[in-house]
Amino acid sequence: MRPQSLLKSYLWEHRFGYVGSTLSILVSEWIFVQFPNVLGRFTDALSAHRLSGRGVFMYALVLMAIGTLYVFFYGIGQSQNGRAARGFEYLLRTKLFDHWEKMDVDYFRRRSIGDLLSHAMNDVQQVREALSGGLNILTNAVFLLIATLVMTFTTVSLKLTVLSMIPLLAIPFFVVWIGPKVRASSKQVQEALSSMSELAEESFTAIRLVKATANEPIEVKRFADRVDHIVSQQVSLVRKQAAFQSIIPTASSVAFGIALLYGGWLTIRHEIPIGAFVAFTLYLGQLVVPLQQIGQVINSYQRASASMARLDVLLQEKPSVADPPHPVRLERIEGAVDIHLDAFTYPDGKRPVLMDIHLSVRPGQTLGIVGRTGSGKTTLVSLLPRIYDPPPGAIRIDGCDVRDLSLEQLRKAIAFVPQDGFLFSTTLRENIAFGRPDAADEDIVAAARAACLEDDVARFPDGYDTLVGERGVTLSGGQRQRTAIARAWLKDAPILILDDSLSAVDMETEKRILASFRALRRRRTVFIIAHRLSAVRDADWIVVLDDGRIAEQGTHGDLVRRGGIYAEMYRLQAREEEVS
Amino acid sequence: MKQERPSSSPSLKSLARLLPFARPYAWQFAGVIALVVVFNASSVMQPYLVKIAIDQDISSHHPNPRGLVDIAALYIGVVVAGVAANYLQITLLQKAGQSVIRSIRVGLFQHIERQSMRFFDSRAVGALVANVSNDTETVNQFFTNFFLSMIRDGLSILMILVAMFRLDVRMGLFSLVLVPIIFAVAAGFQGALRRRYQRTRTLLAGMVAFLAENLAGMRITQLFRQEVRQAEKFRDLAGQHRDASTREYLTSVWFNRTFETLGNVSVAAVVYIGGTAVLGGAIPIGTLYAFIRYIQQFFQPINAMTQQWNTLQSAMVAAERIGQILEIEPEVLDPEVPVSLSNDARGRVEFRHVTFGYHPRHPVLRDVSFVAEPGSFVGIVGPTGAGKSSLMSLLLRFYDPDEGDVLLDGVPVRQLAQDALHRLVGIVQQEVHLFTGTIRDNIRLFREDISDERVQQAARAVGADRVIARLPDGYDTVIYGRGANLSMGERQLIAFARIVALDPKVLVLDEATANLDSQTEMWVQRGLVAASQGRTTLVIAHRLSTIRHADQILVLDRGRIVERGRHDELVRLGGLYARLHAESGVESRLFS
Repeated sequence: MRPQSLLKSYLWEHRFGYVGSTLSILVSEWIFVQFPNVLGRFTDALSAHRLSGRGVFMYALVLMAIGTLYVFFYGIGQSQNGRAARGFEYLLRTKLFDHWEKMDVDYFRRRSIGDLLSHAMNDVQQVREALSGGLNILTNAVFLLIATLVMTFTTVSLKLTVLSMIPLLAIPFFVVWIGPKVRASSKQVQEALSSMSELAEESFTAIRLVKATANEPIEVKRFADRVDHIVSQQVSLVRKQAAFQSIIPTASSVAFGIALLYGGWLTIRHEIPIGAFVAFTLYLGQLVVPLQQIGQVINSYQRASASMARLDVLLQEKPSVADPPHPVRLERIEGAVDIHLDAFTYPDGKRPVLMDIHLSVRPGQTLGIVGRTGSGKTTLVSLLPRIYDPPPGAIRIDGCDVRDLSLEQLRKAIAFVPQDGFLFSTTLRENIAFGRPDAADEDIVAAARAACLEDDVARFPDGYDTLVGERGVTLSGGQRQRTAIARAWLKDAPILILDDSLSAVDMETEKRILASFRALRRRRTVFIIAHRLSAVRDADWIVVLDDGRIAEQGTHGDLVRRGGIYAEMYRLQAREEEVS
Repeated sequence: MKQERPSSSPSLKSLARLLPFARPYAWQFAGVIALVVVFNASSVMQPYLVKIAIDQDISSHHPNPRGLVDIAALYIGVVVAGVAANYLQITLLQKAGQSVIRSIRVGLFQHIERQSMRFFDSRAVGALVANVSNDTETVNQFFTNFFLSMIRDGLSILMILVAMFRLDVRMGLFSLVLVPIIFAVAAGFQGALRRRYQRTRTLLAGMVAFLAENLAGMRITQLFRQEVRQAEKFRDLAGQHRDASTREYLTSVWFNRTFETLGNVSVAAVVYIGGTAVLGGAIPIGTLYAFIRYIQQFFQPINAMTQQWNTLQSAMVAAERIGQILEIEPEVLDPEVPVSLSNDARGRVEFRHVTFGYHPRHPVLRDVSFVAEPGSFVGIVGPTGAGKSSLMSLLLRFYDPDEGDVLLDGVPVRQLAQDALHRLVGIVQQEVHLFTGTIRDNIRLFREDISDERVQQAARAVGADRVIARLPDGYDTVIYGRGANLSMGERQLIAFARIVALDPKVLVLDEATANLDSQTEMWVQRGLVAASQGRTTLVIAHRLSTIRHADQILVLDRGRIVERGRHDELVRLGGLYARLHAESGVESRLFS
């Protein structure tokens, strides 16, 4: 969905609201421009001594009615536009979120979260500003300008209006010219500020080094330089703002001077009545604001259209992992996995990271995968749930290419425990039940027990309602991993993948967790990636990856006897176990 | 997003304490006041000039076109003078305010850098950075916006009132009645606005946090097929924000409209009261005109002043936080009459019965004594928490020992000036800190007295030149984000080069624990040897191979030196060192 067409359909959907708000702003302006006119006629009547006390009262009453009605109608139009714009802001944000949920892991790897956030927050807000304040001001400014001009042409004098207007015409051009300069300057101030904060943070973080090298005076000088830079940027910004604030009153005062001179002369020569002169000076004051606002609106629309363009680019991106057009539907998934992978290269990579991997895992079997960091273990298991897309036909589950299954069925069949054990900042309960929000309490407790998390939970004051903090910071590394394991356990899928998810738990707990999985293995296909060999010792089959290829494979006994990489690892780790 | 930080109850006193920073700029602030008076006078004069034009030149029985020209010229002159005064005032005030904030910032930063390590142990860096950047910025609002508003808006109200009374007392009295009403309406709305604004901000922050977390954990959501549920949660958050933001918007719309209504009603009232007066011949028609214009000018300054209440509140809170930091005296101070070591310091380090703890009852070092002879290489080993790092911190006088003395060339370190001590004792930490800047600046720590040649010599000496040559701009390569573009081993080499360039007599080195690949490992070991050349070197070793050839090895356990001697002697002894040595054979290079 393009944001432009989204906007069009939103405007169309709310057309009655927008027509209503435009009309009420129009009505309010029409009322508003009567104010100086009535005041002018009052002055005429008063100076001609044509008024009684009751007449004065009537004029005051009319003026009060005008003042109140104008405000009322304008408020209605403004409220409606502001409300609708916030509705669109909401719509755009939720569309973005839906869009991101469809994107693949590689997409997020290539972008910073801060950058994506700035789209969802700043760009969307920019569009809202243009729709809310921008639209109000535009309607207001245009109508007010037209209405005021019509009023002055008809009730005062065409020549007087045109002559006095000349200096004012420069205002919108000036605003359009200086607006972006002020923005750029203010951005520089922000950058100077964050550069100072950065330096302070660096310096405080490295305070031991700074002190140990007696470098405090140098740091203070560096800091002072950054502060000086802020001062000069700030002063340059303020100069521009001050110029902005000076030019407009100057232009309007020149216009007013002309009005005073020429209007006064016309009045003296009785070409216009004194009331018209008074009214005109008031009208002139009314013209300044809309002229200035037109400039601001132009700037706001320029920013909003740039934001729309950025959002368009963002929403046009297609996920590289998506449902096939006609997914194959398997009745039930047993969990047989066949891998025939000649080579796998990352979307932006040059060299393949996996080569010649041929493996078959029957339902209920356990496959252990070992190898040093960077040998391709995680990449291999990432291909199963299509975190990255394997080449066609390379990975089959129950004989069916994973690319032919719907993502829904494929991912429901796989429980994955990632390396980092990412948790959401909610309660422990919600995290464990993440895949099954409707899970019963017994099931959650059972999952926690299987992951050896039960005792830890008992020690938390709030038990399962303990908040885990941002990404689970309030938990230890081991607790985080075990929560992630409980989460996967509760998913109860035919294929289970443990991607080095036991690294932060001690060996005793590892044994207990593996035992509970073993009780389950009869029905589950399990992939275990591990650094500690004790975790894969009992696997049905073990592969040793090295530089993206299978270097060795077999059962634990086979591999130890073979005397290769695995045997060497085993020897070293056995000694380590003895020492500890 | 600004985080709420606790603070004690703020008061004007906290702001008053910062006033000395503003004293040097008192003349500038006085100049601002003078310019504000000019500007305000020009604003007040404008309606009055038109009144004169109407009553004397236009509407009078003897119209005076000549006078009209004078008045028009005067009018433009008055406005231009006002505009010029305003321009000067804005820039002058900003310069003065920025200068005040500059002194506060630099003073605060300097004060923080002078603090002892205990100060930093108990504080988050983020909070200190916020003190230096955000809190000072908020105080700046006090020196600029608050100050200006009180002067400009206060004077405006006063001058308009005076002008009105001078024109007509009865109508002046009427306007005086308006002042409290306008203040009450504005203050009432401001309260509601502030609450709604804060609610919107909180909801926005919640939405951003949710979004950030979900973007980071999108993989988990997808693997567990929870897209629909997470999207619903987001809709809920975004919807709440939309509603709050709409409420905030509507409040501000109706506030502005109410204010405007009040203005229009006041004009109508002036028309009635003034019109009746004109009918009765009490005032001329031009005076009525001036009154209508004055009444319209009346509202803006009152509104502006009520808004400043918030500024004052937050400035007081910020000033309180700054004041709390400025109050703290550094714990480790230079002696009043520091002993100066002669230029040919030798670098003999001695610990004499040193006992030390971060908390008084829990010593981490107990009765530690040892001597490191000039130029010798001393290794320190022991399990985690044995007190190795504390030992180093005492030598650098990051803390003072509870008992005993640390001596450098026979002089207790607390009798030396800190900067003199720190020029003699250098440190290489486990975690290498790199600053945003070029490689060259990182080696010489931005010191201009260290020449380019010396930087290059130092880099060559430790073998860092190979690494630097590979970087795109060599020594001028800019390091970003704490050196994310350098590997662990490369950073270590830069740290060694740094120490050689600074050339201290004593080198304290906390060896990095991270595993390096064998090539880099070899380079780092060579760099270490080069860096220790000609210096007394104390190394906290995590790899026993590093200290195999040390002149002396100290084995620390639970704060005491339990064994000391050379490598072979300690292995033969069969104690803790021998056990550590046996275990170290297991250090596997298979897993990195």
